[in-house]
Amino acid sequence: MSFKTKDVVLSEDRPKTLLLQKHSDFLASYGVNKDDYEYCMTEYLRMSGIYWSLTAMELMDQSSRMPKEEIIAFISSCQDSESGGLSASNGHDPHMLYTLSAVQVLAMYDRLDAIDTEGVVRFVTSMQQEDGSFIGDKWGEVDTRFSFCAVMCLSLLHRLDAINVSKAVDFVLSCMNFDGGFGSKPGSESHAGLIYCCVGTLSICKRMDALKCDELAWWLCERQLPSGGLNGRPEKLPDLCYSWWVMSSLSMLNRIHWVDKKNLEQYILACQDAETGGFSDRPGDITDPFHTLFGLAGLSLLGNSSIKRVNPTYCMPQETIDRLKLEPQILYV
Amino acid sequence: MHGRVKVRTSEEEKARKEKERQEKLKHFKYAMLKIFTKRKNIEQDQEQLDLTGKVLTSNPDIYTLWNIRREVLTILSKTSDSEKNVSKLYDSELSLTEYCLKINPKSYCSWHQREWVLTTRSDPDWKKELALCDTYLKLDERNFHTWDYRRFVVSQCKPPLQEEFDFTTEKIYDNFSNYSAWHYRSKMLLELYPDLKGGRPIQDNHHKHELKMVQSAAFTDPDDTSAWFYQRWLLGAVKATVQVVAFIVTPRKTTIAWNKCVSIDYVNNNINVYINNNIINGKWIPCNAHEYDDLWILEHNEEINNNIDIKIEHTQIDEEKEIINCKQYEPCVYVGKSKINFQNQYSEPVVQELTEQLDACRQLLVLEPDNKWTLLTTTVFLHCINAKLYHKEVIENLQILKDLDSLRAGYYNDLITKWNIEQQLPSDYQDDSLHYKSGSKEKLTSLPHFQYYSYCKTVDLSNQDLTSMTLPFLIKLQHCKELDLSGNKLTTLKEFPNLQLEVLNLQDNSNLSSEDIELFKEKHKTIKVIF
Repeated sequence: MSFKTKDVVLSEDRPKTLLLQKHSDFLASYGVNKDDYEYCMTEYLRMSGIYWSLTAMELMDQSSRMPKEEIIAFISSCQDSESGGLSASNGHDPHMLYTLSAVQVLAMYDRLDAIDTEGVVRFVTSMQQEDGSFIGDKWGEVDTRFSFCAVMCLSLLHRLDAINVSKAVDFVLSCMNFDGGFGSKPGSESHAGLIYCCVGTLSICKRMDALKCDELAWWLCERQLPSGGLNGRPEKLPDLCYSWWVMSSLSMLNRIHWVDKKNLEQYILACQDAETGGFSDRPGDITDPFHTLFGLAGLSLLGNSSIKRVNPTYCMPQETIDRLKLEPQILYV
Repeated sequence: MHGRVKVRTSEEEKARKEKERQEKLKHFKYAMLKIFTKRKNIEQDQEQLDLTGKVLTSNPDIYTLWNIRREVLTILSKTSDSEKNVSKLYDSELSLTEYCLKINPKSYCSWHQREWVLTTRSDPDWKKELALCDTYLKLDERNFHTWDYRRFVVSQCKPPLQEEFDFTTEKIYDNFSNYSAWHYRSKMLLELYPDLKGGRPIQDNHHKHELKMVQSAAFTDPDDTSAWFYQRWLLGAVKATVQVVAFIVTPRKTTIAWNKCVSIDYVNNNINVYINNNIINGKWIPCNAHEYDDLWILEHNEEINNNIDIKIEHTQIDEEKEIINCKQYEPCVYVGKSKINFQNQYSEPVVQELTEQLDACRQLLVLEPDNKWTLLTTTVFLHCINAKLYHKEVIENLQILKDLDSLRAGYYNDLITKWNIEQQLPSDYQDDSLHYKSGSKEKLTSLPHFQYYSYCKTVDLSNQDLTSMTLPFLIKLQHCKELDLSGNKLTTLKEFPNLQLEVLNLQDNSNLSSEDIELFKEKHKTIKVIF
């Protein structure tokens, strides 16, 4: 059987420096033309789009380029008065994913007063199931992503007491696998994105002790490929967003030095598009706000001093987390 | 946007494409507006299904449209005149999801819709669903959505587990690097052959069989990582029973160190502290301020004099009582230590299998001395078979791995540190000294297991490779009075924990600024800082 490591090769003419101005321009112009095809076709995740762009701008200290009042008014208009949850955009249905994004954006703006936060608490609480898991909306899809959305959202509102935290933790732990990682539900394969969600949940609930930390951190550091980039599962291609999912998890586990920071930085920088601005999943692909945030946040974890410090649990500026007096757990074992 | 390559096109081509897109967009906007208007007017009919279906076939992730369809389907199935028509309705919904999954096999919404249909309709055909999973896993053997869906189907139609187990065997022999199949196999094994006696993850006879399977996979191509992760699981995963490792009583402070984190409830319910045969009452405080900790501090009002009898009683999970007696080390200082052992325990047949595989690995290593996975596996085998006997070779191998697999040098450094500390701890626990100093020539890069050294009064961590990241771990040194951190790689003292130190040596940390030191002194006035 022939076998080759799946990876990419970084070309010599790749970007090697951080193009902050380009990225700020890219995000500032994103969505200015409301008839842009890509923009319209991604309406169903607009709320998260705003979170990605704003957080990226905050990390670059450029958030003044975002239309603050317009965003806040938009978020208010997306709250469903009946359930209390928020939707991705007008006309769409409330969902955990977008409820979290909305709360994160308002927390960064220090404008949580713009929505009915008790309604949000009601919505999130109503999503918890008997076994401690969370569903995404009333249609019943269970996923550890929604557990993370729930505890992050409530902790930002200082209302973690509204749910059964210990059951929420037990459910997440029931998703732990032979390799120490986590999947989307019990029995699901480990995946770096879901590992971030589960480790993040435990970090907020201060139950990091329950992790098999050395096994998990080893699996995570084995995601690094010769190009310096990280993949999300064994035998997969690298993708820039995993520099966030993997590195934030390793940060919470206090083992960020188990990957080669210099090589990873090279890979992240190579994912920039020097013409359009923004970051893409792999060098040479089309850029988008999602990868732009995770590229910048990844660099922040690596200690890049021209980017503000990011909190590994919340993926928000550390200054916001400090202002809210939140102390997600970092493991010291 | 994942995996979309940026293509350079001519201006002309660009303009043509943009025109095409604007046309598409016009249709899209019109359809969305119509759908939302119909929804508002509660028009739950076939037309709504057609409209939403059409949009979803090109964009299956618009979650609200699936919600609308579920609303419509619920109504239509209730008002339908025959079972047959209801069945037809759901069949066509399944066809739609199948179509959408062809466009995007990773569409969460489409998969969930399929689950919803199958659990909502009264006549689900689970066999057909299982066959569908087979087909999809042939197209992409690693799609975790398909695997999840398979597990869902299996949970509903409950085929014999052995069949699922055999399916993983088949998948693995198709391609050894199918990590998803190895993963599923681990779940099946735990269901089929759990080790009820505890200790190993699975029953011994299967353990050996699995190790053999890993070997055939790994030897086919040592660079194929899937099997190696599976092997590490087989070799590790010993269920450690909760054990008290050390207990320290001084007039100022009483602490108890555990081999793993336990909760306040556990400590309250399972620990009794006796002084001269009287139970001491007090409040337990976690050293890290979290709910679970491996070092607990007891606040009590007892007077601690010389020559008193102190012991603790630990009621274990199986109701066995473990008694740890304390010995007076110094005036008014009592320490109790357990027998500790970090060696993994395996049954005789498994050890035999490991030894045979070790030989095979060594042979392979002669042919390919630079293969990381072979060297790492050899090293893990050595450590598992007899950590003490092979310690020197293990550490030498890890040093080589630092070069061979330099991306993960930080991991190997920490592993060297951990295994060196595990090597030293049992002998330190036989001594009556209140002093710690690393006995290995490799410098420490981290401070694992340091709750075991919570009883030490003087701790010499000089001339190691400790960075400021490791400072929070020092919180475990609850009884330390003199701490030597000279000659390390500290850059800041911001994360230095609150300890009742008398002397702290910070000399020769060249990146530590004098401002940092001054700030530290200001904050910790009672500590004599040597700098």
